[in-house]
Amino acid sequence: MGRIRRSLGVTLALLLLLAASPLAAQGPAGTIRGRVVDGSTQQPLPGVIVSVGERTTLTDTEGRYLIVGVPAGTHTVRAASLGYATASGEVAVVAGQSAALDFSLVPEALALRGIVVVGYGQQRARDVTGSVELVSVEEFNTGRVISAEQLIAAKVAGVNVIDTGEPGGGISLRVRGGTSVTSSNEPLIVVDGIPLAIGGGLSMGRNALNFLDPNDIASVTLLKDASATAIYGSRGANGVLLIQTKSAARGPEITYTSSFSISTVTRQPDVLSAEQFRRAVQEHAPEKLSMLGNANTDWRDAVQRRGQGQEHHLAFSGATDDLDYRFSLGYLEQNGVIEGSATERLSASLNYGQRFFDGRLSVRANVKGSRTKDALTPGGVLGAATTFAPTQPIRDENSPYGGFFEWEDALAPNNPVAELRLSTEEATIYRSIGSLEGEYRAPFLEGLSATLRLGYDVAKGERLRFYPSFLRWQVEQGIGGQVNRENPTQVSTLLEAFANYTTRLERYGAEVDLTAGYTYEESRGDYPSFLAQGLSFDLLGPNGVPAAAIERTFLTVEESRLISGFGRVNLTLADRYLMTLSLRRDGSSRFGPSRQWGTFPAASFAWWLSQEEFMQRLVPGADLKLRLSWGVNGNQAFPNYRAFSDYVISDPTAQVQFGDSFVTTIRPSAADPNIKWEETTSYNIGLDYGLFGGRLSGAIDVYRKDTEDLIFTVPVAAGTNLSNFVTTNIGSMKNEGVELSLSARILDGALGGLSWIGEFNAAYNRNELVRINPFAGGGEQILTGGIAGGVGNNIQVLKPGYPINSFFVFRHKRDAQGRPIYEDTNGDGTINEQDLYENVNGDALVNQDDRVPFESPAPDWILGHTSRLAYGGFDLSFTLRAHLGNYVYNNVASNQGHYRALRDGAPDNLHASVLETGFEEPQYFSDYYVEPASFLRMENLTLGYSFTRAGRPMRVFATVQNVFTLTEYSGVDPMAGVNGIDNDIYPRSRTFSGGISVRF
Amino acid sequence: MNGTMHRALAAAAAALLLALPGCTETLVEPKSTVTGANVFRDPGSYRAFLAKLYAGLVLTGQQGPAGRPDIQGIDEGFSQYLRQYWQMQELPTDEAVIGWGDAGLPELNTQLWSSLNQFFAAMYGRIFFQVAMANEFLRETTDQKLDERRVSDALRQQIRQYRAEARFLRALSYWHGIDLFGNIPLVTEDFPIGATPPPQSTREEIFAFVVAELNEIMGELPPPGAGEYGRADQGAASMLLAKLYMNAGVYTGQERYAEALAALEPVLNGPYRLDDDYRHLFLADNHTSPEIIFTLPQDGLRTQTWGGMTFLIHAPVGGAMSAADYGIDFGWGGPRVKPEVVALYEGGPGGPDQRSHLFFTEGQSLEVASIPSFTDGLALPKYRNVTSAGTPGSHPTFPDTDFPMFRLADAYLMYAEAVLRGGGGSRAQALDYVNQVRERAYGDTSGNITDAELTLDFILDERARELIWEAHRRTDLIRYGRFTGGDYLWSWKGGVQAGQATDAFRDLYPIPASEMLANPNLRQNPGY
Repeated sequence: MGRIRRSLGVTLALLLLLAASPLAAQGPAGTIRGRVVDGSTQQPLPGVIVSVGERTTLTDTEGRYLIVGVPAGTHTVRAASLGYATASGEVAVVAGQSAALDFSLVPEALALRGIVVVGYGQQRARDVTGSVELVSVEEFNTGRVISAEQLIAAKVAGVNVIDTGEPGGGISLRVRGGTSVTSSNEPLIVVDGIPLAIGGGLSMGRNALNFLDPNDIASVTLLKDASATAIYGSRGANGVLLIQTKSAARGPEITYTSSFSISTVTRQPDVLSAEQFRRAVQEHAPEKLSMLGNANTDWRDAVQRRGQGQEHHLAFSGATDDLDYRFSLGYLEQNGVIEGSATERLSASLNYGQRFFDGRLSVRANVKGSRTKDALTPGGVLGAATTFAPTQPIRDENSPYGGFFEWEDALAPNNPVAELRLSTEEATIYRSIGSLEGEYRAPFLEGLSATLRLGYDVAKGERLRFYPSFLRWQVEQGIGGQVNRENPTQVSTLLEAFANYTTRLERYGAEVDLTAGYTYEESRGDYPSFLAQGLSFDLLGPNGVPAAAIERTFLTVEESRLISGFGRVNLTLADRYLMTLSLRRDGSSRFGPSRQWGTFPAASFAWWLSQEEFMQRLVPGADLKLRLSWGVNGNQAFPNYRAFSDYVISDPTAQVQFGDSFVTTIRPSAADPNIKWEETTSYNIGLDYGLFGGRLSGAIDVYRKDTEDLIFTVPVAAGTNLSNFVTTNIGSMKNEGVELSLSARILDGALGGLSWIGEFNAAYNRNELVRINPFAGGGEQILTGGIAGGVGNNIQVLKPGYPINSFFVFRHKRDAQGRPIYEDTNGDGTINEQDLYENVNGDALVNQDDRVPFESPAPDWILGHTSRLAYGGFDLSFTLRAHLGNYVYNNVASNQGHYRALRDGAPDNLHASVLETGFEEPQYFSDYYVEPASFLRMENLTLGYSFTRAGRPMRVFATVQNVFTLTEYSGVDPMAGVNGIDNDIYPRSRTFSGGISVRF
Repeated sequence: MNGTMHRALAAAAAALLLALPGCTETLVEPKSTVTGANVFRDPGSYRAFLAKLYAGLVLTGQQGPAGRPDIQGIDEGFSQYLRQYWQMQELPTDEAVIGWGDAGLPELNTQLWSSLNQFFAAMYGRIFFQVAMANEFLRETTDQKLDERRVSDALRQQIRQYRAEARFLRALSYWHGIDLFGNIPLVTEDFPIGATPPPQSTREEIFAFVVAELNEIMGELPPPGAGEYGRADQGAASMLLAKLYMNAGVYTGQERYAEALAALEPVLNGPYRLDDDYRHLFLADNHTSPEIIFTLPQDGLRTQTWGGMTFLIHAPVGGAMSAADYGIDFGWGGPRVKPEVVALYEGGPGGPDQRSHLFFTEGQSLEVASIPSFTDGLALPKYRNVTSAGTPGSHPTFPDTDFPMFRLADAYLMYAEAVLRGGGGSRAQALDYVNQVRERAYGDTSGNITDAELTLDFILDERARELIWEAHRRTDLIRYGRFTGGDYLWSWKGGVQAGQATDAFRDLYPIPASEMLANPNLRQNPGY
C-alpha cells in the first residue's frame, strides 16, 4: 500500500496543479453557461453537443455546459443530441461576464437518445457500439421491491432475473445464459463505480444488493456483449450491471414515499388431505393404522401467514449551479408468507457534488449505509410441512419436545411448527459502501479530463442460530442444544484513476474519445465463528452461552487483490462510422503464480446506415445503426487460493503409529498452480432502429459466446499432481442466442390526452456444454443436481453436447392415456426398472446406462412486456413475463409420490400424484417428474393518480404483484430457482400494496 | 496549443504512467490455511508429512475412517491401498474368492477383467498418490529448502532419515506398480507438479531405478530392527530389495538370485526370529511379534479405515461364524478360499499342519459351486481383532491388528528358493530355514523335510501354506509361470468352476482406462 499512497499523492498534486493553471488563461471574452434538459421529462441531458461558431463542448452528467473565451457580442448557440430535435438560441455575451442559456430538447426516438453509463465513463447512446441497455427509473418494476435486481425483471432482453420469493432471499441474474459450471454465473455489479465483490465467499448476506434501497436508484445499465464488458476484464464474462444512484437535479425539495403491502401464498404443494391420507394408509399400509392419529392438520397452513410489509422513503435534495446534494433515509419491513421469514432494512444515503473553478473540477461524495435484519425459516420447515402426517396434531401436552407432537423415529420428519417456534435463525448485517470522486476538466485542452475515485465496501454481519436441547432433532442426534454464532467482516477498498480525452479532428471529420486508467482493489474477509453444543440450559437462547459440553471456535481469513490497467478508444468518422477498441489487463491474486496477468481485448464497429443517402431513399426517416462486436472476457468468481496446495491436517482418528506414539499427519492437496480465469469470447451483431420519427424503436441482436478453460475437477495423469483428480481449467461451453426489443409510443396524448408507451423484449438462448476433458473423447459425464430422496442421488448431468444441468432420466413407458405405467410387464413377479423404463441402449438390462439427458431448466425463450399509460392525472402500468421451454423437476412429487413413504417408519403424507401413478416404490429418475414449466406471469400492475394539493405535487398508487401465473407446471412455482429443482422451495406470493408519494 | 498546455498534458500522462505500474504485485499468500508457504515454519511438519507417506498405505483420507479423501472417483474404503493390493494379489489365484457383486469385483475371481475395472483405477491411483506424496516430500526437504528455512542441525539429521524413508515408500509403491501394471511412468521429485503427462517407462527402467534407490538409502536408515515401530529400517529396505531381485527375471528378463541372497543377509542376520506362535502374527497384539520386519499398523481408536485390516478381519466373517470370536461387531460375508489351496495342507483342515487350523469349516463346503454364496468354500478368519490373551481390540469395528507386510518366515522361504534357483548360498542353511518354518507349523519336527524333498515346487506350496492371504500369491505364481496358462488350474480360473487356461497377457493388469485417457503417452499392455 505504500506505493499506492505515493501514486495517490502524485495524482492529487497533479490535479491541484492543473486546477491552478486556468486562472491565468482568461482573455477579453465572456463565457456562456447553461443547462440542457429533456423537454418531456425535465431530466438533465448529458452529452449534448453545444456549439457556438467553432467552439464546441458537451454537457456534463447534470446537463450543464460551459463555453469559455466567447468574444463579446450576440451569438447563436446550438444544442444537438441524437434522438432529439436540434435546438438553437441567441445569447448576448459581455466581456468578462457569464451569460446563461438553457435548452429544453424535444425527444425523437426513444431508444437512441440520451446518455448511457459505460465502464469508466459514459457515452451518448447514439455512439454506443456494443450491446448496452439502460433501464431508468420510470421504467422500473413497481410494487414491493426489496432488491435492485427486481427493478429490471422482464425489462431487458437476454437478462433473466430469478428470485426465490423469500423476502431478502437470494436472487440470481443470468445475462445471455451462464458461462460457468463451477464458478459463479452472476454478473459483475458496479454501484456508482464501485464493483461489488462476487464469488470467493466475499459477498455477504443472502443477496449482494440487499443493502441498497431501490428507491435511491436512478438507473440500471446492462452491459451485455463483450465489447461493452471487456473493460471489466476478468470479471466481465457474465455481463455487467451498472447501478447509478440518484442525485439532485433541481432546487431544494423533499420527497416522501410510503407504502404498505399484504402478501398471500398463491400455490401450495399438492399433498393428500387428512381424509385421503387415512384412506391411503388403510389401503396401502394397514400395518401403520395404529400410527394414524385422528387429527386433521393442514401443516402448510400452520406454517403460512399473510405477509405484511411497509416501506418509507424520505429524500432531501437540492441543486444550485455549483453544488447538488441528496440525502435519503429508507425503512423497509417485509414479513414473508412463511412464518419465521422476514427482512427489515434501515438505510441512509448521501450523494453530494460540488463544482469548483467554473465547473472544471467536480467533486462527488457518495456514501450509503444500511442495517439489514433477516429472520430465516429453519431449513427443514417447508419440507416437514409437506410430509408430516395430516392426521397428527400440532400440539401434544405430554410431549417432552416443548409440548409439540413428534414421532419417536429418527427418520421421520420433525414437527415444522415446533421447529419454527422453538429455534431461532437470524442475521444482522451492517454494510456501507462509499466513494469520493474528483473529475477535473483541463482548461487548456478542451475535452481532457482526469478522474480519481477512492471507494470502500465494508460489511459486518452476525448470524445466530439457536436450537434448544428439547427440540426433537437435537434429542435425536444427541446434541443437547446448540448455539452457533458467525461474525464475518469484509472490507474492500478501491482506487481508480483514469483520464479521458475527447476531441474533434475537423480535417478528417472524426471524433476521438480516449480513456486510459488504472485500478487497484483489495479485499479482506475475517470469518470468526463459534459453536456450542450440549447446553447446560436453554433459557438464554442465542444470546448467551451457558456452560456447554462442546465449545469450538473457528477462524478463517481471506484476502484477495485485483490490479488492472485499461484503455479505450472511441472513434467516430463522418458521423456514421463508429469504432471502439478496448483493452484491459488484470492481475488477480486468484490466478496461479505463472498466470497472474490476463489480457482482455475487445473491438466493435457500428455504422449509422441511416446517415447514408441510399438508405434515406430506401427507408426515409428511419434511424438505423448496425453494430458488430468481438471481445474476450474472463470469469474469476472462484474461491481464493485455488492455486495453492493447502496442507490438510488429519483427524484424531486418522493418525499414524510411529513407535509408541500416534502422529497427526499433514497432506498437501492437489492444486493447479496454473489456475486462471475462465475465458469467454463473444461475438455480437446488432441493429438499432428507430422508425416513424422515433415512435417505434428498438434493437435486434444475435450473439455467440464461447467459453474456454472452464473449471472442472477431472482426473489427471498419474504422478503429475498430488491426487488423481484436480480442479483445473479444462472444459468449454457455448451460448448462442437472439434478442429483440421494441419500444413504441403507441399513443402520444393525441387522443384526448391518453398516452401509451409499450415495450416488448424477447430473448432466445441455447446453451451447450462442448466438452469437459479434451483427453476423454467426449464420453464423460458428471452428475449434478442433488435431490431429496435416497442418498446422494442426482437428477441432472453435465454431458458434452447437451445444455448444462440437463435432466438425466429414465424414459418411463406410458400407457394409452399418457400416464406412466406401473405394472409387472415382464412377468417376473416384481415391478422394477426392467418393467417401467425404456431400454435405451438395447442391452440385456435396464440399468444406470439407460438414463438419458432430457430437457433443461433454462428457458429457450424469455419474453417481457411493459405498458405504461397515462391519462390526465392517472397512470397505469403493467409488466408481463413469460418463459418458454423451461422444465422443472418436481422433487416434492418424486419424493412423496409413492406408497413406500407410508410404510418406512412413521407414515408420511403423500404427494397427490400417487393417486394417478399408483407407484408403490419411489421412481426418482423417471422423466414423469420432469415437467414442462413454461409460464406467463403478470409481474405487476400499478394504477397511480397524480394531483396537486396545497401546491404540493402528490401521487397515490396501488400495485398488485404476481397478478396471475399461467402454467401447466403442477408444483408451487414454475420458476424453481436457477437449477429447476422444486424441492420444497419457498412458495410464490401475490402482493397487494398501496401508498403515496409527496413532494414538498 | 501553447507550451504550457503541452507541458501540462505531458505531466498528466506522466502521472498516469506513474500510477499504472505503481502497484502491480498481485500475489496474496493464504493466511489462515496451512500451505507450502508456511507449513514448514513448524519443525514438526516434517514428521507429520512423513507420517502421511505411511498413512497412504493404511488410511484413505485425512478423516478416519472416511472423509477428506486422498483420491477421488471411487468410494474411499473400497479403494484403500492394502485392500486393493490384497484383492489383486489374492482373488485371481488359488487362494481366494469373494462373493460380493460390486461392479468389477466378480471378474477378479476369474481373471476375466477389463481395463474399465474401477479397482484397477483405484490401485493405480493409490500407487501414484504415494509416489506423488513422496516426491513432494523430497522436493520440500532439499538442502536448499532446509537452508532457506534455517533448519537446525538436529532436525536435519532426522530429515536425512525421513528422506530415506520417503524414498523407501516410493520404491515400495513402484515395486507394486511394475508388478501389477508393468510399464508405467517413472515420476520422480524432479518432475514438476502440474506438468504435462509423463512418458511411460519400462519395467526394466523402473526396476533399475528402484534398486539404485534402495542401495543409495540403505545407509541412511536405521539398522534392521532398530527403526521405530511402523517405520522402515534396513530390514524393510533389504526385504524389498530381495523381493525385487527374486522377481527380476519376471520384471527384466534377467535373473538376479545371487543379489537376492545378498540382499537378504541383513534380514537373516538381524534381530528377527520366528514367532513361537504362528497365530500371534495375525492378532491384535501382533506388534509384539519378533518376526515382523515391516508392518502397516492400525489402531481401533486412532487409525481408522474401511479398508486394510478392517476389511481383512470383517470381510471373511460370515455363515455360522460368531463375529465376537474375532473381536468385531459383525462380519461382512465376502472372501473364502478356493479348494486347491486347502489341499496343499497335509491332512487338510485340522491335519497335523496347525496352520490349517485357521480354516473355519462349520457349515462351509470345500468346493466353491457358487461364488456369491458365502458358505461355498472354507472360510479363513486368519486375521483377528483379539489379542493372544483373548481380549478384544479397542474398537469392535476398527481393529488394532497390524498388517505384517514383510516377516522373517517369508525371508527364510525366499532364501531357500534363491538357493534352489542357483543363486549360491548354502543348501543346508536353506533346509534348516524351511524346517524351522515347518517345525513351528507342526509344533514338532514331524513335518520336517529331507534335503531330497527340498524342491522348488515344495517351496511354492510351502509359501502358500505359510503366507496364505498375505498378498504374495499372484507374484509367486507368476514367478513360477503358473498364474496364467493351463499348467496349473484351480476353481473358477478362466470363469468355469473346473478351471481353464487363461491368456498369458493376464500376468499383467491393464493400465486403467481412465488413466489411458488422462495420459496420452501411455501404451496399453498387450492383450487389453
